[in-house]
Amino acid sequence: MYEFDPDLSNLRVTEEDTAQISACLQRLLADTGASYTMVVDRSGQILAYESDGLRPEMTHLGALLAATYASTQEIARILNEDSFRTLLQEGLREKIITETVANHWLLVIIFDQQAHLGLIKVLAKRTTSILGNVLEVAQSRPVSENSGFSRRMLQATTDTIDLVFSDDEAKDRDEEND
Amino acid sequence: MALINVAAKEIHGKIVYYGPGLSGKTTNLQYIHSRIPSTTKGDLLSIATETERTLFFDFLPLDLGKVHGFTIRFHLYTVPGQVLYERTRVAVLNGADGVVFVADAQRDRLADNLQSLRELAQNLTTQGKRFLDYPIVMQYNKMDMPDALPTPVLDRYLNTIKAPRFEAVAPEGKGVFETLRAVSKLVVNKL
Repeated sequence: MYEFDPDLSNLRVTEEDTAQISACLQRLLADTGASYTMVVDRSGQILAYESDGLRPEMTHLGALLAATYASTQEIARILNEDSFRTLLQEGLREKIITETVANHWLLVIIFDQQAHLGLIKVLAKRTTSILGNVLEVAQSRPVSENSGFSRRMLQATTDTIDLVFSDDEAKDRDEEND
Repeated sequence: MALINVAAKEIHGKIVYYGPGLSGKTTNLQYIHSRIPSTTKGDLLSIATETERTLFFDFLPLDLGKVHGFTIRFHLYTVPGQVLYERTRVAVLNGADGVVFVADAQRDRLADNLQSLRELAQNLTTQGKRFLDYPIVMQYNKMDMPDALPTPVLDRYLNTIKAPRFEAVAPEGKGVFETLRAVSKLVVNKL
């Protein structure tokens, strides 16, 4: 068995973590009437999300929201602020609130005109505190508990990379040139 | 940092294409997007200026499918290469699991390559990574240009860490997938 590199793989979300995070997000949706809510890490990867049915393109949304947050933190730095812990984006139909969770994650809530902004702000704060506890426990687990990538899986992944990331047209062209 | 979601059986890795302005980072992603099967890729997202220069980043999600029950996903990003956007590069680099350094092989771009590489090393170090152990692949792009420096010269100046390196002509796809395969394997080897 290989060990996950602590510098790279310092977050392994277990089934128990996921259940706690999901329960938290579901309760937030139910209490606020928001449309979507998700937890994303600051590198743009989505840890968990819940929605009331419809689902936008979440992968791109995660990357863009993390980038927006990063950009805002640079503005804070220039203004000698520690950080802007809450972001609010308002559209005609939808609004987005982004709250920091501990130091590594973001809670994002997307809601329409039916939901009440004040209530969402209050419940978001409460939720970030619970999520922060869950995620910090996950992150603080010893590296040995994070072992899990077997030699067989590593080989299978490498083979898949060779298969999927191939460029047959380019190979054909090279052969023609030869 | 790679994210391993045991409940969802997903592994996510983040790969960043770094390098000086106009070295061909976006072209790499455009070529990958144009060639890879639609089942494997998401939309290529670009936040660019009106003149098509990268303003914030390009983003391309790739899905390798299931391996031993786990879905393996890589998210490819580029940084804006222009010197002005140094803080934006720091933001995009945050949490990266691997880096492709796209160098412009033309003689008059050597100083720009060196400056960008030094900045990358500094940014990784600031983020608590050891530059010498970090998964990095070098790509010498624009090798078809008449004033491209020979590979041994580029090696001497840019690849003192002896990272895997590939010659490339990104618009034609030469070296693009070789680079992607190499950096992806470095990332999974760190898992």
